[in-house]
Amino acid sequence: MPPPSGLAGALRAVRMGAWLGWQVQANWTDPLLFFIYSIARPLGGALILVFMFTVVAGGRRGPMLDFFLVGAALWPYVVWTMQGLGWAVLEEREHFKMIRYVYTAPIPFWAFLVGRGLSMALTGLVPMVLTLLFGVVALALPLVFSPARAAYALAACLLGLVGLVAMGLLLVGVVFLISGEAWRLPEAVGAALYLLSGAIFPVTVLPGWLQGLARVVPVTWWLEAMRRALLPVGHPRSFPALDDGMVLALLGLTVALAALAGGLVYQAGLWSARRRGILDAETHY
Amino acid sequence: MSVTAPIPRVGGLRRALYAVRGRAYPRVVGAMREPSWLFYDIVLPLLGAVAFVFVYRALGAPPRFTGYVIMGGATLAFWMNVMWNMAAQFYWEKHQGNLELYLAAPCGLVPILLGMAAGGLLGTSVRAVVVVLTGALLFQAPLPVSSWPAFAAIVVLGLVALYGLGMVFSSLFLLWGREAWHTVQLLQEPVYLVSGFYFPVRALGPWVGMVASLIPITLALDGLRQVMFPGVHPALAPLAWEVGGLAVLAVLFTVLALRVLRLMERLARREGRLSFRW
Repeated sequence: MPPPSGLAGALRAVRMGAWLGWQVQANWTDPLLFFIYSIARPLGGALILVFMFTVVAGGRRGPMLDFFLVGAALWPYVVWTMQGLGWAVLEEREHFKMIRYVYTAPIPFWAFLVGRGLSMALTGLVPMVLTLLFGVVALALPLVFSPARAAYALAACLLGLVGLVAMGLLLVGVVFLISGEAWRLPEAVGAALYLLSGAIFPVTVLPGWLQGLARVVPVTWWLEAMRRALLPVGHPRSFPALDDGMVLALLGLTVALAALAGGLVYQAGLWSARRRGILDAETHY
Repeated sequence: MSVTAPIPRVGGLRRALYAVRGRAYPRVVGAMREPSWLFYDIVLPLLGAVAFVFVYRALGAPPRFTGYVIMGGATLAFWMNVMWNMAAQFYWEKHQGNLELYLAAPCGLVPILLGMAAGGLLGTSVRAVVVVLTGALLFQAPLPVSSWPAFAAIVVLGLVALYGLGMVFSSLFLLWGREAWHTVQLLQEPVYLVSGFYFPVRALGPWVGMVASLIPITLALDGLRQVMFPGVHPALAPLAWEVGGLAVLAVLFTVLALRVLRLMERLARREGRLSFRW
């Protein structure tokens, strides 16, 4: 039976990529240890911000702490989804040495990579929820729930996921061309976005020219939209002058731009890597 | 008749130094051949450290907190070098098939590890210097040093203890498969938290601080901050105690590393894990 082509083939490759990604991530240990490993890093990151706040505020509470906590909780989802695609290329190329076989298989390569990224997104959901729960229980994080806010959060999440995958493809396009030490790149891009996207502080704190850069990154708008969905009115905002609808619209616009850029950079990187013969080149120092 | 000159055989310390140089060489040459690492290994992670400066700015914290972040960011480069380029390196070497070659070489694993550390120090030192310069020039972070001898003693003892700890960890990575990568991940934010990379470790309470002092960076960072901000930095312990503690850790981890490496190598050989890649 011939493999499905077109959309059906792409969806099958996404599903198989996600399944493989999940196995690679999770089957090295038992579920409890995997769970502990999955939440230790994000929770550690959130607690760093809590203690930074505490040493300055002298033990007093404030709305900025809630801003930090929501950002720290959402961050693993952001960074793991995006990095998942980059790491998939690096793992297949440098460690498992399977990239030539996956690439030559009768599946859309991009769909396989998107699947690998989605498996990381799924893994990132757990620390996101647990960090929010920790915030509510241990630090009185005032999360607000209502049907309207839930719908807003869902729309933002779906748009955000597309944006993160698009940024992941953009990253992959670059990773194709870096044959040595490229494994640091996904982590490094995550660190840069940590600054640019207002993950842990309002974008208004950044110098003007960096604020301009922050506005073209979909992650900035996704974090802003999620904070608006989760925190009460009156809490610190990255874009206090904009209303909720405008934030969602700008999220959609930047996601569309990121999808365009991601597709172009992915294709250009792949074309260049094939032309130079480095798609499966391993380099180690 | 042989057409090649015989290779002179060396032994003892000279052989160890040859091995250190031999393992450091590809890292240094690699860094020179592909300078793109300067961007994604220095500039981009620097932005991550800068993010914490803006957190303190958002909170309206005094300028010395910017100094805390800058020192934490610079020190973080060394922790990353030890964990990724030294401790976890045996896991990558297994994948590349080099580990068997190292074990067959007549120099032992310690010079190989020291070579990895020395080779990685180039990038690490550049990254640390860039972080400090960025802090001083871009953010006007106050970085005074009240006593250079104390500063130098803390840096030297801290590095010896830290690389000793790295060697202890590397012995574990001889045994581990895929859990190695996850373990290094685990030793990032949680260690940044308990070691007080971005805030005074005393904020965690004296008992947590004491336990965290087993990680040399905890004492080194707190000691450096005492030297830089005497009188205002809430110290975990008196400076002399912290320097003494670092000296103890330096000796302890060096001796422990030598013993544990031998033990783990024997165990890994017995259990057939030296070439166990997944």
